[in-house]
Amino acid sequence: MAQIVAAMAMTHSPGLTGWFERAPLSQQLLAKKAMDEMRWRLEAAKPDVILAFSNDHLLNWPINNIPDWTVGIGDEHVGPADWYDEWLALGKYRIPGHSKLARHLVNEGARRRISFAYLREMQFDDGFSVPMHYLNPYNAIPLVPISMNCTVPPIPLPTRCYEVGVALREMVKAYPGAERVAVLATGGLSHEPGGPRYFWVDEAFDQWFLKLLANGDHGALLRECTLEKMEEAGSGGTAELLAWITALAFTRGPAEVLAYMPAVAWRSGTGMVVWSEMA
Amino acid sequence: MGSVDRVDKTLPLNEMMFAVRKSKDLRDRWNTDLAGICREFGVSQAEYEALRDKDVRKLHELGVHQYYVPQMLRLFYGAAANSNMHPALEAYKRAYPEESARALELAARLEREGR
Repeated sequence: MAQIVAAMAMTHSPGLTGWFERAPLSQQLLAKKAMDEMRWRLEAAKPDVILAFSNDHLLNWPINNIPDWTVGIGDEHVGPADWYDEWLALGKYRIPGHSKLARHLVNEGARRRISFAYLREMQFDDGFSVPMHYLNPYNAIPLVPISMNCTVPPIPLPTRCYEVGVALREMVKAYPGAERVAVLATGGLSHEPGGPRYFWVDEAFDQWFLKLLANGDHGALLRECTLEKMEEAGSGGTAELLAWITALAFTRGPAEVLAYMPAVAWRSGTGMVVWSEMA
Repeated sequence: MGSVDRVDKTLPLNEMMFAVRKSKDLRDRWNTDLAGICREFGVSQAEYEALRDKDVRKLHELGVHQYYVPQMLRLFYGAAANSNMHPALEAYKRAYPEESARALELAARLEREGR
């Protein structure tokens, strides 16, 4: 049976690669140190595959037909998508997929009445490209990407995301293989991409959310951190923390907050956390 | 809920943006034949004029998904080095001066504090 060996979460804002040096030096150093720490811990866990969650950003699906969840089932993933490479200041990269595990999740999900869409060729923007650039720089660890709808109403509720996370955890553990699986959530913290508060970061919300994670009480977090609170802190972007809440279901106990920056220059509250105990 | 709830999921301009980002041909025509692209997607005159004029507030009011608006501006001005000083972001500062000033003041304060 497969085994969950690591869980972590980080912001994926395009500024982290596209205009990194435009943030204050203190934020650059803090972000780089935290992402280095995440990479070391990821490598130390010796994963065979990364299961990653991120907002789809209206990239793969048109606005008239957006699934809540989409699994990338390809044998290989290529990113960034054309036109996004210049924005992200990243060249094209190729990461091996894990088609067998990905297809297992799609089919087991259906048996549990969870509808996972799938794509053989999933396009990548900042959501997967930025974390892979820093955490999987040699593209050596295969990736199963799961994109989510965090920005087109109706956005799934945090409680639903946690439920799906629990089901995914059980499905991964039931996978007939000895794979060591690392879980990665990307997105958040507070930001409002393209909205009236495009430049704003809600530091008070971010610190409050990270404290909830550090407290390690999943029930309390799900009761208190509603979708409405996320939207108040930055509409259409802060709800990327639904990816973190999905990953939360793979963990137990407190998260360790490696770094937090109210990074207006990157137009996003920017944070990195790791969990040490898996559920 | 937040500003993202103002989206009109049936707006032709939203459908057009999904297609433009995926098509090099459409992206190449953006700055030379924007009216022609809009006609092909059934975009209304009001949507076209808001887009042509880079009127962020009007685009929001019409129901363009807010995530698409910076992408429209990047198609006009280029996508590289998209910091808060990029020309594509000036349209936001014009549309939402109070919100933008408040955020940029926060950035300046944080920098003074060495954070």
